[in-house]
Amino acid sequence: MIELRNLTKAYGGKPALHDLSLEVRRGEIFGLLGHNGAGKSTTLGILLGQVYPDQGEALIGGVSVQRQRGRALARTGAIFEAPRFYDYLSGWRNLEIYTSYSARVPAERIKEAVAIAGLTGRIHDRVGTYSQGMRQRLGLAQALLPENEVILLDEPTNGLDPEGIHEMRELIRRLNREHGLTVVFCSHLLVEVEQLCDHVVILNQGRKIFDGRWADLAVDRREVRLDVDEWERAKVLLSGAGGVRIEGVGMISLDADCVIADLVARLVHGGIRVSAVEPRRRSLEQIYLSLTHPGAAAKS
Amino acid sequence: MSLFLYQLRGELWKLFARKRTYIGYGVFLSVELLVLLLLHLPRTQRFLRRMIENSGGLFDEYFSGLTVALMMMAFTLFMLGGLYLALVAGDIVAKEVEDGTMRMTLCRPVSRIRVLAVKYVVCVIYTFSLVFFVGLSALILGLLVRGTGGLFPMIPGVNLLAFYDFWPGLGRYLAALPCFALSMLTFSTFAFQLSCWNVKPAAATISAITVFFVDWILHEMPYFESYRSWMMTTHMNTWMNVFREPLQWSRIVEDYAILLGLDATFLIVGAVVFASRDFKS
Repeated sequence: MIELRNLTKAYGGKPALHDLSLEVRRGEIFGLLGHNGAGKSTTLGILLGQVYPDQGEALIGGVSVQRQRGRALARTGAIFEAPRFYDYLSGWRNLEIYTSYSARVPAERIKEAVAIAGLTGRIHDRVGTYSQGMRQRLGLAQALLPENEVILLDEPTNGLDPEGIHEMRELIRRLNREHGLTVVFCSHLLVEVEQLCDHVVILNQGRKIFDGRWADLAVDRREVRLDVDEWERAKVLLSGAGGVRIEGVGMISLDADCVIADLVARLVHGGIRVSAVEPRRRSLEQIYLSLTHPGAAAKS
Repeated sequence: MSLFLYQLRGELWKLFARKRTYIGYGVFLSVELLVLLLLHLPRTQRFLRRMIENSGGLFDEYFSGLTVALMMMAFTLFMLGGLYLALVAGDIVAKEVEDGTMRMTLCRPVSRIRVLAVKYVVCVIYTFSLVFFVGLSALILGLLVRGTGGLFPMIPGVNLLAFYDFWPGLGRYLAALPCFALSMLTFSTFAFQLSCWNVKPAAATISAITVFFVDWILHEMPYFESYRSWMMTTHMNTWMNVFREPLQWSRIVEDYAILLGLDATFLIVGAVVFASRDFKS
């Protein structure tokens, strides 16, 4: 449904994206995760034709955004972290104004989108009187109009209270499940992406450092704590084994295909006394940190 | 075309739903009343009487609703027109970029040039509506206070001497309104062009006002008389030629051709800048 091909972008010589390629399949909830400044907004900007890439192109439904923006975005909606509206106009009027730049949208269709977003009771009030949660809902309603198949969401839960975050998450899930929408969800919050997305790309300093499913990321490496009598000698023996990385005193991490029992046997044969072997499941946060900030992960 | 009109309707809602727009009209009306009051002070009256009578007219006949209306309109638009047009046209793109609403609009499958075209039409409508509002309200006020009578176009700094009876004078006055609006449109277009750059709205507004005032000051300086044809304000002043007898059509057409050429240049520059820039939060 969405394809990015070798996107590269720099602002004033400072690289923001480096050779980014990725693919989003129809009907999936796709997560774009990265800290502030990782390149998420630039990626979204390129997808919407608001930022021009130095190299590469973005395709939506097989149509190039850079060459045929109008056609590519014909069935795409988006909201940014804080959707902006004309505060002095009603929510309804705002929807009419924004959607006029797509097509003449029948009032019935607007009503339907408003109902999905849960704003029916307040849609004729001035947006200036809306809470942050209501603004996000209005943002979502405008992203659904006129008849979109793809929605791009940039930090849509920003500024919401926990209840609002939960409601927004459920709404996105429902749109994906019941309306078959393809959702691209950008966030710097790991927990948000973890709870909502199946497929995730992690960006760090404009580079893609992971592309896959959460499950792939979690089993990619396992950590094991070893209690041995001579750590320095054990370290030498372990370093000789393939797929083992020394993380600290008594801490190692293993490749997915590495068998713990083989390592223990290797230590015992080398004359090391092993009193405890404790496999540890690393949290997603640790995995994320180890990918984006290797030093910080070791400390944590 | 119908979608364009639909989009234009939305842009007009945005402009005319703002209190600021109406405060502007209120301020113009207040300034007109102030000018009207000043025109009735004894010393001003003595000066005007001398001017009219030295030119061969009768003060009671030519210090009429039409003459007063023309003076009110010229002074009010000269003092405030540029400022308000620069405020609106300088804001129209830059403020939306600053507020983030432009990014929301540009999420839609619409070309940037189309968005600019709709906004520019709003600028044109605002410019014409402002000039017509000031012109017609000045006319109504003038007629109410001074009644009907001949028109003696007294515009300081312009070598203009003409007397008109009421109906021909009214015709000239009404003909001057679209011409004045067309002149002011160059000011709006210049501010609009600046608004398309990556600048704050205030910077676009202030820059537009600065350029036009510098142009006007240079135009007024006798040292630069031989360069006046290069100055925008020279051509913008051509609306006053509507009051000359006989009408100098060739001069009016030439000046407006130059102004429309300038408008087109400003628009193209603005569109190129707007279409080629990145929009990022």
